[in-house]
Amino acid sequence: MIKQHPLIILTPVIADKLKTLELRLEEIRDSSQKSQERGQKTEFEKVSTLHYGRWVILSEKSFRDTPAVPVGIRLSFSTNYDEGEGEGDNKKNHLDNHLHELVTQLTKYIDTIYECCEGYPEPGVRTTESRINFLKKGLIKTTAFFNGAPGRSVKQIHQEEALRKHIWNFINNKKWDKLTTAVQIHNEIREEIDKHSEFEWSEKKAEVQGIKWFNIISYGLLFLLVFPFIIIWAIFLYIFYERWNKKQTLTLSDLNDEKVNELKKVEDLFPQNQFTQVAVLKPGIMRNLNFRIWMLRTRVLANNVFVFGKLLNIPTIHFARWVLFDNNKHVLFFSNFDGNWQQYLGDFIDQSGWGLTGIFSNTVNFPKTRFMVFGGAYDEEHFLAWSRSTQVPTQVWYCPYPQLSIKNINNNTKIRNELRMKNITEEQAKIFLKRF
Amino acid sequence: MIMSTLELSEIQAYLLHDYKEMGCSKYYLMQVNDNNKVAAKKFIADVANSITHANAEVKDTCLNLGFTSNGLKQLGYSEANMHTFSREFREGMVSPHRQRLLGDYYNSDPIKWQWGGPSNKRVDLILMIFGKNETTADNYFQELKQKFEPGFSVVHILDGKPLPNEREHFGFRDGISQPVIKGSGEPSKGFNNDINPGEFVLGYKNEYDVFPDSPLLVDDKVPGNKNLLADDPSGSSFKDIGRNGTYFVLRQLEQNVDGFWKFLKEKSKDEHGKTSNDEATKIAAKMMGRWPSGSPLVNHPDKDPFPAMDSDFNDFSYIKEDKDGLKCPFGSHIRRMNPRDHFEESTPGVSLTLTRRHRIMRRVRSYGEDFIGSAENHTPNGKVGLLFGCFNANISKQFEFIQYTWANSPKFKRLYSDPDPIIGVREDPEKKRGQIFTIPQETTNRVITDLQRFVTVRGGAYFFFPSVSVIKFLGTI
Repeated sequence: MIKQHPLIILTPVIADKLKTLELRLEEIRDSSQKSQERGQKTEFEKVSTLHYGRWVILSEKSFRDTPAVPVGIRLSFSTNYDEGEGEGDNKKNHLDNHLHELVTQLTKYIDTIYECCEGYPEPGVRTTESRINFLKKGLIKTTAFFNGAPGRSVKQIHQEEALRKHIWNFINNKKWDKLTTAVQIHNEIREEIDKHSEFEWSEKKAEVQGIKWFNIISYGLLFLLVFPFIIIWAIFLYIFYERWNKKQTLTLSDLNDEKVNELKKVEDLFPQNQFTQVAVLKPGIMRNLNFRIWMLRTRVLANNVFVFGKLLNIPTIHFARWVLFDNNKHVLFFSNFDGNWQQYLGDFIDQSGWGLTGIFSNTVNFPKTRFMVFGGAYDEEHFLAWSRSTQVPTQVWYCPYPQLSIKNINNNTKIRNELRMKNITEEQAKIFLKRF
Repeated sequence: MIMSTLELSEIQAYLLHDYKEMGCSKYYLMQVNDNNKVAAKKFIADVANSITHANAEVKDTCLNLGFTSNGLKQLGYSEANMHTFSREFREGMVSPHRQRLLGDYYNSDPIKWQWGGPSNKRVDLILMIFGKNETTADNYFQELKQKFEPGFSVVHILDGKPLPNEREHFGFRDGISQPVIKGSGEPSKGFNNDINPGEFVLGYKNEYDVFPDSPLLVDDKVPGNKNLLADDPSGSSFKDIGRNGTYFVLRQLEQNVDGFWKFLKEKSKDEHGKTSNDEATKIAAKMMGRWPSGSPLVNHPDKDPFPAMDSDFNDFSYIKEDKDGLKCPFGSHIRRMNPRDHFEESTPGVSLTLTRRHRIMRRVRSYGEDFIGSAENHTPNGKVGLLFGCFNANISKQFEFIQYTWANSPKFKRLYSDPDPIIGVREDPEKKRGQIFTIPQETTNRVITDLQRFVTVRGGAYFFFPSVSVIKFLGTI
């Protein structure tokens, strides 16, 4: 199975060049957006393993709350990418290859953007290697990472969508006798696909990740073991920390119009949208520790349980991640999701308010919580205002399949695998046909 | 009679009563006369006593009114206080982002609207007059006109009637699954339709068990009689402008009845190219989720047993009766607008809760000829359409959410390219979008391709419907 990995690079921006950088990023955004609206390819497509790419300028202005350490102006560059075939878990390999692809395929973008950043090689000494070395200096670690379609490479996503479309056309352009069984139709579809050499790849079953039961049971037992301590921990936090937090009264209407409009300017252009957020961790070792425990929990669940396209039961997220940075004092959250902001944040409250509350209750000015998981996100009005006000404008956002929902992507893989099922039963064939 | 926990004498009655018994509904869109704002305010102060509130006796005429954000500004409402209103209301129905959300393109583009758009006269106030008949309504209007004239002028009139036989022009029975506001004194309707008041009235708790975002008087150094105002129930020290008020969404939707049925008849053709009225009606019913009579497809998927008999049958759910959408397609209008117990990722119980968080109180009037379309008869005289109106406490979470996430998005549930076939199809003259409607069947699904849009937006605006006391207050600012 080809794994997907997160990359994130933070680079200081030369203050004088901030305006130039903003303009250049805007240009890149506009041109790729226009191409995608017309159904044309963008520069980014040259990196065939790139799922998502995003540039975000982070300055003091991006922080709603006072940063815990001086922050300066930085450029964050994050991607989700496929490892190469056979690269396996060798991190050095796939990371190096990804960086190599970025600087060789997107040289123009990388140069124009990073010329505005500190320490970028002068034009005379710009080589693939010096560019890679520059980017590597800004590498930071992703703390927790979620993938809505584990194992699905960009190539596979495109291939499987083409397969679905072909079968859809085949089914709908043919008059089916009422007496034809689902199994017969399934057979005919397979014969049709076999006629087309461009679908040869579909003969091989797509590997999909299942729930890792052994891990889950082990973690479950461990959880039961430490449960009494969690209760004590929650009571301790409540008495010494949560009780003293201020009640938040900020509402959506209170927010700065200019900022909200800047965010909305690039929303709902496609069925998919992005969300970038930056928050400041509450001071003190206890809060920091608590945040890391929640991150650990998220990591374990994302790797072992949330492998079928739902993060905390939210069925619309393609990729999401949390990144602790600035000496673990600040946290970035990135998400790529289907639908719009109101729906997405509503889903968070409806489906997993407690999970989100557990994580973000450790950041300053989050709506008041009780025992880590109560209050917080369930305080709908103030939670939405918190989310919007800690959101940061995303300067460039790219996705090679902005028209596909995560449900579509997972459904397409099922179509492919069920197409090749041997001795399919009538019931199974009916389920297969309902996928179109 | 059930006791009411709402302050009915403060709430404008249109929120709680549809005035179906009133034969004539006239909406006057008005503008403050820039040179006589004093007179405008005086009218508002005076007319407050004539507002039909939810506790008032029903007379031959009723009167309700609402303000646009422009209207409040015109009356001199301060910038700081204005800012406490919801962003959707402040921005109004026309903005680049909102155009994407609501899907108002090409012929529905606000630039082409007859009212409320950027090429039309500013709308400040909507004065809604309901009369037993046209004469009583007109007489009442003439009476009011004497009073409002120095302060306001009429920029556009919308002339509506209750739907003939409660059917809209395409021919379908409408408004069957209307919510009931808990505590309003209305008898419970069951079937998940009893909703916490805060979904519709500001100042009460909503389905999240919190108070909806309500406009406050944060700058209290402004003029006006603040004794008329209530305190903020969520505990701030400010006066609550929103309490017992609500937001009203109004959109004029022109219906191309002829195009709708011609399209369906075209799709009803059999292998010999012969059209069928029965088949066209069936496809239409699949798109709607109910037969023209109102009878739900979940109960009668193949044939309407009593097409001549109106049905308000509402006691059905999806999980048990139609999990695969074989009876009522996933993409059908009613399954999107009220998903009931079926959100794919949630249990039926949770689904019902989530549904309750996205309801609207519909207030629909028809205009043009009293025409009920059908496969046999689909050519009305002149333009016909709906004055679609709805009340909600949070425009973004309710009206806009329903329109974008449930109707316009072709990705609803697990679908790929299926917008709501009745209200969500995007006008697409270049036919690039490939919009379809999927009818799940036992083996191969049936697909209606090349969907077209048969509803054109002709105008629209967001209004704030204040409580009676707040109307009085606005007359004193």
